[in-house]
Amino acid sequence: MLFSRLVKAALGLFRSSLQIRALVLTVALSGSALILLGGVLSVSIGNGLFNTRTEHALEESERAKNALPRILKDVVSDSTWSLNQGIKQAISELESSGVTQSRNVALLNASNRPNAAQLENSSSDGMDLALISADFRQQVLDNKDIQSLTVQIIRSGDTVPALLTGQKVSLPGGHDYELYLIYDMSNEQQSLGFVQRTLVIGGLVTLGIIGFFSFLVTSWLVRPVQEAAEASEIMASGDLSRRLQVRGTDVVAVLATSFNHMADSLEDKINDLDSLSKMQQRFVSDVSHELRTPLTTMRLSADFLFSQKDSFSDGSKRSAEILHTQMDRFDKLLDDLLEISRYDAASVTPEYGVHDMNGLVGSALAAIQQFADSKDVYLDAVIPSGAVQCEVDPRRIDRILNNLLTNAIEHSEGRPVRIEVGQNQKAVAVTVMDNGIGMTESEANQAFNRFWRADPSRKRTTGGTGLGLAISIEDALVHNGMLEVTAQPGIGACFRLTIPKRQDLADFESPLPLAVEKIEL
Amino acid sequence: MSKLLIVEDDDALREQLEIGLMASGYEVCFSATGTDAIPAFEKHQPDLVLLDLMLPGKNGIEICKEIREVSGVPIIMLTARTDDTDMIRGLEAGADDYVTKPYKTEVLVSRIRARLRPIKSKSTAHPIVTIGPVEMDTLSHEVRKGDQKISLTPLEFKLLLTLASHPNEVFTREMLLEQVWEYTYKADTRLVNVHVQRLRSKIEDDPENPRLVLTVRGWGYKAGPE
Repeated sequence: MLFSRLVKAALGLFRSSLQIRALVLTVALSGSALILLGGVLSVSIGNGLFNTRTEHALEESERAKNALPRILKDVVSDSTWSLNQGIKQAISELESSGVTQSRNVALLNASNRPNAAQLENSSSDGMDLALISADFRQQVLDNKDIQSLTVQIIRSGDTVPALLTGQKVSLPGGHDYELYLIYDMSNEQQSLGFVQRTLVIGGLVTLGIIGFFSFLVTSWLVRPVQEAAEASEIMASGDLSRRLQVRGTDVVAVLATSFNHMADSLEDKINDLDSLSKMQQRFVSDVSHELRTPLTTMRLSADFLFSQKDSFSDGSKRSAEILHTQMDRFDKLLDDLLEISRYDAASVTPEYGVHDMNGLVGSALAAIQQFADSKDVYLDAVIPSGAVQCEVDPRRIDRILNNLLTNAIEHSEGRPVRIEVGQNQKAVAVTVMDNGIGMTESEANQAFNRFWRADPSRKRTTGGTGLGLAISIEDALVHNGMLEVTAQPGIGACFRLTIPKRQDLADFESPLPLAVEKIEL
Repeated sequence: MSKLLIVEDDDALREQLEIGLMASGYEVCFSATGTDAIPAFEKHQPDLVLLDLMLPGKNGIEICKEIREVSGVPIIMLTARTDDTDMIRGLEAGADDYVTKPYKTEVLVSRIRARLRPIKSKSTAHPIVTIGPVEMDTLSHEVRKGDQKISLTPLEFKLLLTLASHPNEVFTREMLLEQVWEYTYKADTRLVNVHVQRLRSKIEDDPENPRLVLTVRGWGYKAGPE
């Protein structure tokens, strides 16, 4: 568990840092090269040591064989007692006549003469005769030359390598014997061990030095790239004034120069767009401001005419009435245009407070009741018990609810409209559903477009400005929420508003389904 | 007949205002520029001023301040809905109320009526209302703090009287908008905040630490503990 987490962290670091990747790669490759070199050196040194020792051992064995006749010159060849004495003496003499150190010696009886049975096998004290296998004995008897074999012997508790040599010798009286000598090779083993240790330590130190230097070199190479990455990050977060320092004329300097060039043109473009957007915003604000004075005059004129309408002829009277109501519509349109231009200019700052969604829905229903009655539409509210607290700008939520309810009532064709409130841990939702004419999918996709109307003929039967839903979706988005619609022709439409309970909550799911169904009362 | 001074630079709007307001029973006089506003005010001595904030010459906020230096006459600002900051600055300069363009005649007239309505005290038998060291004479509309005479505008007088008539009772901003400004629909509660600040600066020893008009956090305001 911990291990897999460590591996994951290491992998993450490896992937995320160019420098670490370069470092790991350099160290791994040099490490492999060092291991290869060390292996080759170790094997060839080991072989050299072994071969030299083997040559010496074979020479010594040859000398031992040649020394036998001298040692046994006083032996009475037909006396088995004398032969056995001679063999014992030969063992002790050969044991101590080695060049390097004491060795174990064995003389084994291989004679087929009539009195051979009385002759003894003899060997050094503590020598393990089991080392001399039957196969090796056969091999010695079959060949005239000295035979050798690498074996393991126990020396003061440790297992050490040794060389066993064997050869046929002829003792006085024509008895065939085998002469075996065992040479301890622990010195060679120790030398090889020392060489190998030196190689490993030397390799590790070299690897460390390579790692350190490649760290220095990669830092030096990577630093400008890192600086460029940091500068891009800072620019991405909005500070367009950040530039890189240009040093020298190499490829890194070219990178810095083109980065700065890119930053310059980006800053120019953004500033252009910014001033354009400010100009646009200023223009819309000025236009609507300038419109207000003549609109006020017209409004007052219309009011005055309306108040005097009873003294007019029929046509003039109706004109005064129409003028009066259209002034309201004009006023509302101007307000909506100004609001949407505020959203376009991103100059909207909601005033958040903690409110009860049930209460907001209740007052929206109360405000729209008169309109619903005039259209003969029944409003059905499904509201959870208890307060549904959420952090919202009540003015904007009220505007959304009013828009959704007005739309539903207008398109419900006299059938009931249902408003439902739901909540879960993180979010609050309100759905507004009607069983009116509904919309096709492509119509529903356009429902939030500016000045778009659900009626195919786009006839303006109702007083809306055509900006209501476009403003509503902006109102929902500014709360970090969403406003969605689903609809089916002939069945109806359902709008769903979902907003987080607090502005710091994210990844929420809507507590209510988005679906149109038949409203059963 | 009450006399209104209208400071408005747009000729057509001025003419239409005259027609509408005269039909509602007011006597109307005008100033077409900011620079003429103060001379016109001194000449006509109006009962109420309707003041556009965007004017050539001198802007409405300066005019508002200059009128307030010599008079407590009701001032209603005529603002565009876009100028939120201008509206607040106008209120801070001493305007009593505001109407946003484009306004309806009935709204404008109801605002004018509210500001011109005489302030009535509930009890004529006890014409003196006190709040701490401050004494309010509801007949002469004189306000004294110890030996010192304090000059309040009619709106400030009405605001203080409303609070002082019910000591220690909390008034929400909406209640004050309804009772003092006579709003029947929702209006900007900053109207109340700005005027409470102005009132405190006149009657409190230390307006930063008020002892007479207290803020009740989350609710509204109440008259002091004494």
